[in-house]
Amino acid sequence: MTLAILAVFSVALTLLGFVLPPQGVKRATLLGLALALVSLLLTWGRPFAFGPYAVDGVSQVFTLLALLGALWTVGLVRSGRFEFYLLVLYAALGMHLLASTRHLLLMLVALEALSLPLYALATWRRGQGLEAALKYFLLGALAAAFFLYGAALHYGATGSLVLGAPGEGPLYALALGLLLVGLGFKAALAPFHFWTPDVYQGSPTPVVLFMATGVKAAAFAALLRVAAPPEALALLVALSVVVGNLAALAQKEAKRLLAYSSIAHAGYMALALYTGNAQALGFYLLTYVLATGLAFAVLSQVSPDRVPLEALRGLYRKDPLLGLAFLVAMLSLLGLPPLAGFWGKYLAFAEAARAGAWGVLVLALVTSAVSAYYYLGLGLAVFARPEETPFRPGPPWARAAVVAAGVLLLALGLLPGLALPALAAGG
Amino acid sequence: MVVLAVLLPVVFGALLLLGLPRALGVLGAGLSFLLNLYLFLTHPGGVAHAFQAPLLPGAGVYWAFALDGLSALFFLTVALTVFLGALVARVEGRFLGLALLMEGLLLGLFAARDLLVFYVLFEAALIPALLMLYLYGGEGRTRALYTFVLFTLAGSLPMLAAVLAAKALGGSPTFLLEDLLAHPLQEEAAFWVFLGFALAFAIKTPLFPLHAWLPPFHQENHPSGLADALGTLYKVGVFAFFRFAIPLAPEGFAQVQGLLLFLAALSALYGAWVAFAAKDFKTLLAYAGLSHMGVAALGVFSGTPEGAMGGLYLLAASGVYTGGLFLLAGRLYERTGTLEIGRYRGLAQSAPGMAALALILFLAMVGLPGLSGFPGEFLTLLGAYKASPWLAALAFLSVIASAAYALTAFQKTFWEEGGSGVKDLAGAEWGFALLSVLALLLMGVFPGYFARGLHPLAEAFAKLLGGGA
Repeated sequence: MTLAILAVFSVALTLLGFVLPPQGVKRATLLGLALALVSLLLTWGRPFAFGPYAVDGVSQVFTLLALLGALWTVGLVRSGRFEFYLLVLYAALGMHLLASTRHLLLMLVALEALSLPLYALATWRRGQGLEAALKYFLLGALAAAFFLYGAALHYGATGSLVLGAPGEGPLYALALGLLLVGLGFKAALAPFHFWTPDVYQGSPTPVVLFMATGVKAAAFAALLRVAAPPEALALLVALSVVVGNLAALAQKEAKRLLAYSSIAHAGYMALALYTGNAQALGFYLLTYVLATGLAFAVLSQVSPDRVPLEALRGLYRKDPLLGLAFLVAMLSLLGLPPLAGFWGKYLAFAEAARAGAWGVLVLALVTSAVSAYYYLGLGLAVFARPEETPFRPGPPWARAAVVAAGVLLLALGLLPGLALPALAAGG
Repeated sequence: MVVLAVLLPVVFGALLLLGLPRALGVLGAGLSFLLNLYLFLTHPGGVAHAFQAPLLPGAGVYWAFALDGLSALFFLTVALTVFLGALVARVEGRFLGLALLMEGLLLGLFAARDLLVFYVLFEAALIPALLMLYLYGGEGRTRALYTFVLFTLAGSLPMLAAVLAAKALGGSPTFLLEDLLAHPLQEEAAFWVFLGFALAFAIKTPLFPLHAWLPPFHQENHPSGLADALGTLYKVGVFAFFRFAIPLAPEGFAQVQGLLLFLAALSALYGAWVAFAAKDFKTLLAYAGLSHMGVAALGVFSGTPEGAMGGLYLLAASGVYTGGLFLLAGRLYERTGTLEIGRYRGLAQSAPGMAALALILFLAMVGLPGLSGFPGEFLTLLGAYKASPWLAALAFLSVIASAAYALTAFQKTFWEEGGSGVKDLAGAEWGFALLSVLALLLMGVFPGYFARGLHPLAEAFAKLLGGGA
């Protein structure tokens, strides 16, 4: 149902886009995404399968997160060209597909369906964006190749293209490793993260919002189905939390800083992969989507392009609401109670503890403390003495979304139990 | 009721942060004080007003709060100090909002009956403290801020590990205090868990040599003294040792008791010594606070019922008089533009009311019998003497030293020759003076009444450690 709605709207709007005004396409896109969301909620908890396309709990939870990211992005953008909205819609289709299958070929198709629109979106602003997009495209193509090799080896080792087929031996391990590389690239796990800072910095802010939320959700949904070998996972987690947090310390540009922080968060999320607990991972992603979405929504109102840290100074005096919301986002990303991010980290860390992965757990705790330095720097910058920069508040509904996300982060921090039963569908 | 007491200041604080007028903050602080006064007066002793609701279903985390003799007394003194601050500190509404937010978090902290919730509030109280320092602090605030955060986080991560381990290794199904106590830890596990707690709480107390964040924290905070008064309350380390760390891992405590007693005595003496040499009011009060925390910690670490009771009583009382002195220093700063003790001279001539208030606050701090500092100090030293006569004697020197630094500071500020026309107490400041003097007198003359809820807790605490009556 969700798939059908997304597909029909994508194709229909591609044709209609040439005759409708861009604003009309934007509204229709929002409608399509909203309808997909409604249909998702209507069928919540009821699995459904059609050939290799199988909607289960994991797919529903992560599609929900991806759709939220897509809605947010489309709502935030004011583009004069209708293609922008379409590309997001196509990518959302790919995300849903990626989250809803165990079949490796369908996964590859989904991976490309979500990647190609993003390559295009990354170029939306020319100049700097072009270089970033090229980097993204080349590395993305490489990752797709890795994924394809992985799929081929998986077939060789198990005689099946469906993940979860019984298999063993070095060939099987190599296959899983290659699949991990392909998906790790999309999830921005170190050491496959090299594109992230440049692409985040070079792309328009709403697009970055989409990359940081929707793409991550879809990639982790797929990662949940790849039963990665624990040694490989430990390496990814350790590298991600160390590289992400340490590199973020030195950054002077907000989007670039958040790019490194997203690498670190991918590492924390991967802790839940040890036990394959979709509930813990889903909750983490939910808090992450809300906090990152909030941060990028604020950044996109400060400047549509690059955001040096100085540009954030004094935001609280110019617009108290945005300033406070930004602080809430940073503190949640840091994982300071009583914000939702704390429970996300708590659940993920508890999973690692349950799996007995003490080494990476300690590493994650220590690097998490290191991250306080840059999150506080960013969060408190908005309270500094005002800088004389022009500030143009965004549309009222964008402000409303920012406030809603901030309130949700606080509410989920005080009563995390509210969201857990809903996420338990993935169990 | 207890939830109402916690939420009241939080709600008012949130309203003020959204830009509502300052008067609302005074009203909120006043209402909160009255409510907590009522709770204290009607509190029968024992555990009352228990509240429990699941926080993370399945993970054994509960929003669990209750009022016992200890939390009732702390509720009262915290609400009083914040109310006094709201009355006199000339700060903008948002600042007051942060103060009220902090009050709510502190009340929640003192009433928490779930270890993880305690941890959450312990960390959350950091946010308003940080914002106060950053938004309203002095020139060097960034440095002070990062020192503060670095120390605090360095303590809270081992504490989180200890929290998780206390449940996992003891086999308790929930984080509720009663469940955790019913599932005691093995000896080796107890040692490591206690170490995790001890690091976090020693930093918050703070115990020498983990106090380095404290002086810059006070020096760089807003001169009104409101943030400092709250900072005094924020030192919940001794409370946390008593309520959580020691009862949950008594065997771990037993292994390091000697070291902790020594560090507490050392902190008491070191704080007094540095306070004696301090050139300005805030440094003096910061180190005097450090010294008093050392004495209070000594009482709790002694493991005797007298010591524990005295330490906790001192903790409650010192919040009132040290907070009052910080607020008074803020009044002085506003009138003279300086906090340097050597530059006042002879203020008693033009501001006799202020001088009288300062004298009473200082005497309470010194531990004059009849004022609130005395019962706590007396019981503490009594208990400490039982545990270790030598360390008690060492800590007793700090009491003598406190008389020296406090009276010297008073003499330099209010007596001697010179002095210019400084406005005396006026308006709401008289309310501040009367209320704090009243509180100091009542807590000094009727300690039995105020400590009535502490007695059974201290007995149970000592029994747990194998001592007691």
